[in-house]
Parts: sequence; structure tokens; C-alpha cells
Amino acid sequence: MELYKIGVKIFVANPRVVDIHDFIPVFHRWIQEQTIDGHQLIDVHDYSHVANGPGILLVAHEGNFSMDQEGGRLGLFYYRKRELSGGLESNLKTVLNAALQACKLLESDPKLNGIKFRTDEILVIANDRLLAPNDAASRAKFEPVIARALGKAKLAPQAADPRDRLAFVVSRG
Amino acid sequence: MTWKEKLAGKVSRELAGEIDVYETQLELRKLGKIDEKLFAETRLRRGAYGQRYDNGQRHDGVKTQQLKFPASPLTKGPETLWDAPGMQRIKIPFGGLTPAQLETLADCAEEYSDSILHVTTRQDFQLHFVHIEDTPTIMRRLGAAGITTREACGNSVRNVTACPLAGVCRTEAFDVTPYAKAIAYFLLGHPDTQDFGRKFKIAFSGCEQEACGLVNMHDMGALAMVRDGKRGFRLYVGGGLGPVPYQAKVFADFVPEEELLPIAQAIARVFARLGEKQNRARARIKFLVAKLGVDEFKRLVMEERKILPPDPRWTAFIPDAHGFKETPLKSPASLNGSAKPEGYAAWAETNVYHQLQPGYAVVTISLPIGDFTSSQARRLADLARKYCGGNIRTTVEQNLVFRWVAEKDLPELYRDLKAIGLGDFGAGTILDVVACPGTDTCKLGIASSRGLARELRQRLAAQYFNLDAAVKGLHIKVSGCFNSCGQHHLADIGFYGNSRTLGNRKVPHFQVLLGGKWRDNAGSYGLAIGSVPSKNVPAVVERITQRFVKERRGNEVFQDFIARIGKAESRKMLEDLMEVPAHELSPGLYSDWGDPREFTMGDMGMGECAGEIVSRLDFDLQAAERLCFEAQLKLEAKDLAKADELAYKSMLQAAQGLVKELWYDVPNDPDVIAKEFRARLFEPKLFWDRFAGGKFAQDFFRRHENPPARYEYDEVHRLIEESQLFIEAAHACADKLREQKAASMKL
Repeated sequence: MELYKIGVKIFVANPRVVDIHDFIPVFHRWIQEQTIDGHQLIDVHDYSHVANGPGILLVAHEGNFSMDQEGGRLGLFYYRKRELSGGLESNLKTVLNAALQACKLLESDPKLNGIKFRTDEILVIANDRLLAPNDAASRAKFEPVIARALGKAKLAPQAADPRDRLAFVVSRG
Repeated sequence: MTWKEKLAGKVSRELAGEIDVYETQLELRKLGKIDEKLFAETRLRRGAYGQRYDNGQRHDGVKTQQLKFPASPLTKGPETLWDAPGMQRIKIPFGGLTPAQLETLADCAEEYSDSILHVTTRQDFQLHFVHIEDTPTIMRRLGAAGITTREACGNSVRNVTACPLAGVCRTEAFDVTPYAKAIAYFLLGHPDTQDFGRKFKIAFSGCEQEACGLVNMHDMGALAMVRDGKRGFRLYVGGGLGPVPYQAKVFADFVPEEELLPIAQAIARVFARLGEKQNRARARIKFLVAKLGVDEFKRLVMEERKILPPDPRWTAFIPDAHGFKETPLKSPASLNGSAKPEGYAAWAETNVYHQLQPGYAVVTISLPIGDFTSSQARRLADLARKYCGGNIRTTVEQNLVFRWVAEKDLPELYRDLKAIGLGDFGAGTILDVVACPGTDTCKLGIASSRGLARELRQRLAAQYFNLDAAVKGLHIKVSGCFNSCGQHHLADIGFYGNSRTLGNRKVPHFQVLLGGKWRDNAGSYGLAIGSVPSKNVPAVVERITQRFVKERRGNEVFQDFIARIGKAESRKMLEDLMEVPAHELSPGLYSDWGDPREFTMGDMGMGECAGEIVSRLDFDLQAAERLCFEAQLKLEAKDLAKADELAYKSMLQAAQGLVKELWYDVPNDPDVIAKEFRARLFEPKLFWDRFAGGKFAQDFFRRHENPPARYEYDEVHRLIEESQLFIEAAHACADKLREQKAASMKL
């Protein structure tokens, strides 16, 4: 089975224009309208009380979306939970597309004061320690696939601690 | 490679086998071969719990949406869809945790949940939004770290809790840790704990006056005592919270340590035999003790104790218990003149406890409403290794503690905790608001307990340094409904969620309870004063605390103050806050904290807290069916010897289950089972088919008496068919036995 538990975080360029709680009514509206393609949106959770945590979480059956604050940086984090049938590259693209769709919706939401997402840097995380342990072999395996999927890009492994998930910061090459 | 393959040999053989069985049960449920009620109780007994909206419906603020899941209409329990996110509860006996276990919990939270680890009011962990098909893997990964989820939910012995200061407490009689551990593993999966009508909770305390393990509110509580130099426990039974709280009764003033396990076993047997099984609202042991009276209950338990078959485990742990000692990482060293970072003093005042052992301290890590992230968990594991030799415990106030920290390291530890966002002060104070999951994830939740707790915490933190010292020390606890998972009865100021209707709209409310006693092991319960709209609760807290400060006499404690002013006056104080203006005037009151949807009760589901009432015999017959199914798989794989053995074992399992209904202590010896089955069920024609007569039983006797010398495919195939029919007949026989039992009870 190919890796499908992939996460992508797209950072907010202007985090000061929003309060983390602003996303709660927006995500509830998304559920009312079932806005995200291919996702059964279920519920919204407020984790704003946890320092550098998942912030505001939108739970879906296929994968979760959150306005994540990990590392002290606000960003839209999407991670896939249910199986995808494609190869690694295809799965990564599917995950990226879901995240990009969410970012576009947020950028166009009048209640979010012109929030913008950065286009020059994203974080890609392999959320599966069995298929993608955080080691040199996995890095060698996944780097070229990520580079192919995301076009011309500079990749930097993010987590040095082998206990953390395999992750890459991908920036414009 | 799978996790099962990767972890082979790292999970104990027994646990690995149990998880394999559970995984097979998942497959059988998907094939429709296990009834949904039986499967629900099966997963509950492995800690896999339902969550809000798992009936496939959610009110989105405008209309009720049907949630479309791929596996629908497959269910994992009554009105519980297979694909709906669920909760995995993880037992942590006495709250004891190692850094490696914390790391595994963190990994599981990240990969299968939402990267949040939640500590419960019973020292468990919970992971939310978990898919049922991920649960066997989670259990294996936890199992490899020495953690079990067995009997974390369902009608079973739940996590055994204990005071997190046990062993380092300045006022305890002795360290209860090894006793809590011994009883937890002795009763885990014990045959005498498999037929309860409801859950059973045990707690241990080292001393009487402190809050400790809250023994007064438990089904069974053990309070450490030393009499004539000998260790033992004052034993309590029949306490419990829930909608109607009961204070536990003293079962015995002193139970010597060697009698602790057998008495607990005898209590379990009496509860299983006489406890309510039909009406689960009255099935906790507190109702049985109240009905019989504690003296009669005790007499029955002592009768049972006399006939218990001796078990070496009753006393085998005692020498180790006396020698039990945790190893500190560093030598004791006092703080003497070390430089202290900004904020340290306030933190040290509330979050540091000086141990019995000079030079060491216990540090409480305040977790906001019991939550922390996977990243924080890994960093905490590092800090535990660095400062306290890995001696971590969870607490019933939803925090973590590091024990055996050398006092001179406290400033540095504070700095490190602050760096990962866990340096908050206020542990055990009014800031440390406890809350159950409520409407966030619980099917029974009425109002947002976590939303309210978050709000109160934030507001109180902003004014903490201006609060009177007497107010700082108060406890606030919030439950989302009357079922008391947030332990609201024990708080100075407690709340539980309910609702009121105004016109055609619902308004989220919280019932206010005042004057509960956290100290003295949950010494007394608070009194309900009245219900206020959820959004008015912060004003309620402010008003009550201000009045307490203004009218307090000398060192009067809050419970005495409330008792003195009385219930009527307490209510009068809050009356204007109980009023609900019309929707047009105050629409904000018609939604709950952190949730912009207009409030509705429509999202409540059926609770799984009690589990399904499934008898031990149902489980035995289910196990027989599983063995029969596995025999078929072995036949398919042409492993004839194994297929034959499994088919025979399936009949034996069903026969033993039936015999147990008539002779509880039937041993596992196949000859005895066959003999007793013949005498008690076959010959009296209880195991008898209207058309086939005794044929199915004779198939069993034949295989039992003549095991094959060599294996032929057709013969094994036939035996599997026969075992299937035997199990069908066993179900029919079980119905007959139940009818007989019901008739005799009527008489």
C-alpha cells in the first residue's frame, strides 16, 4: 500500500488580520453547505486553549482541516485519514488540492478580513511511521516524489528528531 | 509490513492474542456475523467508544443533516454507524506512566486521532475522532509499550485510580501504588468480573483528610491504614456520582493487605450475581448496597469469600509491595539561592509540592481542560527523562505530575515547561477548571462543558492575582449533563448541563451546585441551587465568590459559608441570572460557548456509558462462533489439524458457557466440561432439539471421546458443520435456561 496519510500545511501570510476564533463560524458554514469536494464534513472543534496546537479543527471523514498553530505559525493544515487509491505522487497531489481548495475558500471569505496564504512555502508531512519513518531512507525515497509533484521546489527536511514525523519544508526553488 | 508484523514479540502473547480476536470480531461484524449489540459491548470492553453524531445525524444550525459515510448502513452498535468517528479510551492504572509510553500515546494521537492527548477525570487517556478499523493497530502499538485498553469502557472494572502523590505524600499511611497495580491486573479480564450489569470503579487513597483518590465516590474505595504495625485498608463500597450521588459505606474498618484481592473478588461475584441487569439506570453497585444494606451486603460477600478457590495471586505481590520504591534520577538537593526566572514564584506556589523525601518535589503540569499535543508529549517525555527519572502520573484533575524532581532543578524545569507552552500556574486552584468532554464529543452531552471551562479559565486567569486567597483555592468542575463525568458534585462550585425551553426555542443552561467537598476523599456533595443560562455562568461565579469574600467569617471555608447562608439565600443571590430574555433581546443566550449554531437537543444520542447488557453466556457463545469461523479459515488454508482442533474447541467453549450457568466454578478441564454438560444439560434434555433430539450433543461427545488419529478433509469439514449446529443448539438452550431463570425469579 502506498502512503496516503499525508499532511500539508499552508502558512498564513498575514496572521494578524484574524483571531483564531474567527474560523469557527466559517467552518460551521462549510458544514452546512458541505463545501469541500469529496469530503463528508462533520464537526468543528476549538483547541485554541492548547499552546501551539491544532487551533480550530474541522473534522471530516476523509481527512481533517485545521487552522493549526504548531510551531507558533498559523496555517491551514490538512491531513488525509482514509485510504486513497493512487500512487504516492497522485496521493500527494490529491491532498494538496484539498488543502488549496480550503485556502481559496478562506481567502474569499468576507468574514476573514482578507486573509492570505503564502505561496512560496509549504510543509509536507508523512503521517505514518510504518510506511514513512523519519530516517534517511525515507527521506531519499520521498524527496524526489515530492519534488516531482510540486514542480520546481527546494526541499528541506524539517524534523531532525527521529520520533517526529517525516516532514519537508518545500519552498519555491 | 504491517504493525502486527513489526511488533511481533513486543506485545505480550496474551494481549496479542486478545487483539487478534478483537480484529477477527471486527471482520465478523463487517460480514454481519456478529449482532450489533454484542459487537458494541465487545468493542466497549476494549475501550472503543462511540462519539457524538455517530448515529449519522447532526444539526448544522439550520437543519439536521444526514452524514453520508461510505460503509453505511453497516453499524458498530445500535444506531452507531461504522465509519463515524469514535473515541479510544486508554487505561493507565493509578495514572503511572513512563516517557516511552507517553511517546507511543503521542504517535497514536498524531496518526489516528487529532494530535491531542486528553487526560480524563479517572486518570485515563482518550483519543478522539478515531476510526474503528484503526483500533486494533492502536491497541498493538500501545500494547508494545505495556499499555492495555481492555475493559476501559463497558460493564467492567474500569481504570483503577490512586492518589498521584502515593509514595511521596507527607501524610499517607503507606504507598498504595503496588496495591492499586495488583488489583488492577488481578481483576483485568478475571472471569468473575465479566458478568456485571454496569461498570465498576475502584480507587485508592493513602490518607483520609486529603482529596487523594476520592474513595467516597467509588464503587469500591480502599483507604490505607496501619493497625498494630500491619498494613491494611478501610474498605468502602457503594459510592458513586451519576445523576443521584451516593456516599460510599464503610464495608470494613480494616481489611488486612492479604485479604484485599480476595475480598474484591468476592464483592465482584456478589455484584455479578445480584446486581441489577435489566434496568441499567439502577445497575451500579451503589443501588445493590442501598437495597440490601451494607451489613447484609457484607454478609453475602463474606459467605462468598469462604468458598472462593484459593489463588496464589492474592498474596504473591505483597513482598514486592513492601519493597516497592521508585528510583529518583538525581540526588536530593534543595533550591538554596538558585536564580529564579520570571513567573517562577507564582508557578511554584501552586504547582510544586514538597515531597516527604527532603530535597525532592512533585511538579504538577497544568493541562488546560486535560489537553496537550503530541509534540508537547514528546518534549514532556524528554523532560521527564531529564528531571525525574521518568516518574510521571496522570491526575483526576486532568493534569500530569512529575515526581522526584530534585528541588534545585525546579527553576530550570519551569523554564523548560514554559518553552513548550506548559508552564501555566494555578494547579489545584480556581483556574484549574475540570470538565468532561460534554457536547464536544459525548453523545449524552447537553451543554458545552469544555466551552464553559475554557471561558471560565480564561476570565479567571486574567484576574487571578486580584482574587482573594480564599477564592483562589476553590475548585470548579463542569459536566455536560447530569451524569457527573466532570465530578461536579465534588466541587465548591459545580455545574452540569441542561436546557430550558422558551417559546419554541431551547436555551443551553447549567445547573449550579454549591458546597461540594473535594477534601476528605470527596467528603460531601454539593447542593443544586438552580439552573442558569450557559452564558450567565461567568457572572454566577463572580457573584458567588464576591459574596463569599465579603461575608466570610474569619477562616470560614466555602462549604460552611454556603451551609450558613442556606439554599434559599443562595438561590436568591442568583435569581436574576436565571432569567432568560426573549430571543430578539438576547440571541447570544440561545447558543452555547464556542458554537455559533442555535442550540438544539437534537444531537443527543444513545449513551454507551453503561454499555449494552450482554451476559457472560452471550460472550461465551460469541467466542464459540469466532472459533468456528477460524476453523473455517484453517480449513480453507488446508491446515486440517488446526481446523479440527478449533471446531472442537468451539463446541467445548459453548458447552462450558452453558454449564457455567448451572455451576459457576466449572473448571477448564475438557473432561469435566463434557461430563457436566452430559449430566446437567444433555440428560435432563435441556440441550435437546425438538426435531433432532440429542444429535448435536452426541456430535460433541463423539469428537471429545475420539479425537482423530489422522485428518481427512471431509471429516474435518463435517466436524465444522457439526460445531456450527452445536452452537445454534447452544443458543436455543441458552434461551431455555433464561426462561427457567426468569420463571424461578417470578416464583
